[in-house]
Amino acid sequence: MKPDSRILTALALIAGLLFLSPALYSIFMSFQTVDAYYTGKFEFTFENYALAIGQYNFARYLLNSIIVAGLVTLIALTVSTLAAFAFARFRFPGGNLLFAAVVATLMIPSHISLIPNYLTLAKVGLLDTYAGLILPAISNGFAAFFLRQYIRGIPVALDEAAYMDGATPLKVLWRVIVPIARPAIFAMGLFIFISEWNSYIWPLVAVGEEELYTLQIGLARLYRVNPGEDVINWPLVMAASTITILPVLLGFVFVERHLVRGITMGAVK
Amino acid sequence: MSGIQLQDIRKSYTGGPQVLRGVSMDIRAGEFIVIVGPSGCGKSTLLRLIAGLEKCNEGDIRIGGRRVNDVAPQDRDIAMIFQNYALYPHMNVRENIAFGLELRGMAKAERHARAEEVARTLKLDAFLDRKPGALSGGQRQRVAMGRAMARNSSIFLMDEPLSNLDNALRVAMRSEIKELHRQLGATIIYVTHDQSEALSLADRIAVMKDGNLLQFDTPGTIYDRPANRFVAGFLGMHPTNFLPIETLPFWQGKAGLTVGMRPEHMTVHTAAPEAPAIPARIVFSEMTGANLMLHCESDVGRLLVTAPRQEMVGAQETVWIGYDASQAVFFDAGSENRVEHG
Repeated sequence: MKPDSRILTALALIAGLLFLSPALYSIFMSFQTVDAYYTGKFEFTFENYALAIGQYNFARYLLNSIIVAGLVTLIALTVSTLAAFAFARFRFPGGNLLFAAVVATLMIPSHISLIPNYLTLAKVGLLDTYAGLILPAISNGFAAFFLRQYIRGIPVALDEAAYMDGATPLKVLWRVIVPIARPAIFAMGLFIFISEWNSYIWPLVAVGEEELYTLQIGLARLYRVNPGEDVINWPLVMAASTITILPVLLGFVFVERHLVRGITMGAVK
Repeated sequence: MSGIQLQDIRKSYTGGPQVLRGVSMDIRAGEFIVIVGPSGCGKSTLLRLIAGLEKCNEGDIRIGGRRVNDVAPQDRDIAMIFQNYALYPHMNVRENIAFGLELRGMAKAERHARAEEVARTLKLDAFLDRKPGALSGGQRQRVAMGRAMARNSSIFLMDEPLSNLDNALRVAMRSEIKELHRQLGATIIYVTHDQSEALSLADRIAVMKDGNLLQFDTPGTIYDRPANRFVAGFLGMHPTNFLPIETLPFWQGKAGLTVGMRPEHMTVHTAAPEAPAIPARIVFSEMTGANLMLHCESDVGRLLVTAPRQEMVGAQETVWIGYDASQAVFFDAGSENRVEHG
């Protein structure tokens, strides 16, 4: 190893630790008793996790988050991939206008659609349901745009070869385009999953029933659980935070290679 | 086996020029047809229309007597080989070859057996588990051919299939394609801009320019009796010399015609011969193997002449160029169409 690369590695390690330090500190805190935390001592305990899961229902919230983020990711990817394929490959009247409309949705802040979405779901009786949490997130303009750009980079001759081989358009999409676009689809899936996992405002508005709370709502409620007056039980909050971030972190490690390939796609031919 | 009839095919794109301007051809079953022409002449568009990948604005396309204008590509019993091979990058050679069979509902064991049989024919059996990215250009080209062969189609369309290969491989693959045609007996329509490929492969050649079919005939006829000056210039190893007839010593007292003289029909003399000849000066020469291609300056203009290399050893700069006048082709100086001239 050259001296230059040793310095670079050390710098990268320091930077990595700096970035990780809040997460590491919160994990460290989550194993402390609340009394020890406020008296500046260290006393190891699993009690915060037991409390979060047993008393504060975090196992249920975790399940809800997995169901909501998982289904949103799956459905949004399906819808976006179909839309992207149509925009990339088919010419139809109004196609460009429709695509411009999809891109224009990227300019609309999500909070603007909060009230219309709420009123719509209230009208059809979908508040306080999984469907109410999932449906507003399944059309994702950014995913459709991102995947369309990727698919446009795949030679049309491959589609044509598949048509000559006897494929229908859906077969072309499923057997030719999707396997080739897998890095981009993985990357997009992770982005959607993370953003849905961290979503706070919409679940807060759409759900009042505790059995449908997601992790973010449950986490916010913990700030109100005080062991004494005006004192927040930080070790409990940190244990709940760890339960919240761990699945995403593990998921990221699992698909990280695909993600990096997806983001850098087209950089080098 | 199926023949193909094209009748007055016209194609234009919205807001673009007309790409095909009324092309008609009658292709017999089992024929090897080469469509040749410069870039942008409409040859690939014509192939795509036959394949069904695009629709024509006017005209009829018939395959085996059936009008197929509105028939989907997969229902035309056509296999196509693309210029860039269009191999599925995520599938290995076996899967690439068998994909069309899978889509037609053939059982896995059966289609894999068929893929392996085709791979053996094309000497690809050692690469069945490799993906296209791990193959050389020639091997990829073979896989593309294998994919087309596996389906036992009666018509093969080939869109410049050899243009991405180096020269040696191109010549070798040319022979293989010819052999394949002999074995399969299928109708092949082959598009190229390479006139040597056209001459060596075709039963009949269709020469196109600017969306028009200029001539559709056997290689021999097109070479010896080109329909017009463009065809004469396009087909042939070396560029044809075009000169006004009145400037040449071989036809005294004639005018209004352009004479097309192929370099291989001209002879080089180091001393003035008794027969009429054009005095010229060799500017430079290129070796083309057994022959030299001489670039000469003369009073009638620049001339290209081929001469056996041995005969030119020690030749001086000044030479006399003779010509076998019976080989000449005459074109009307105005319309540039070929005219008979006794």
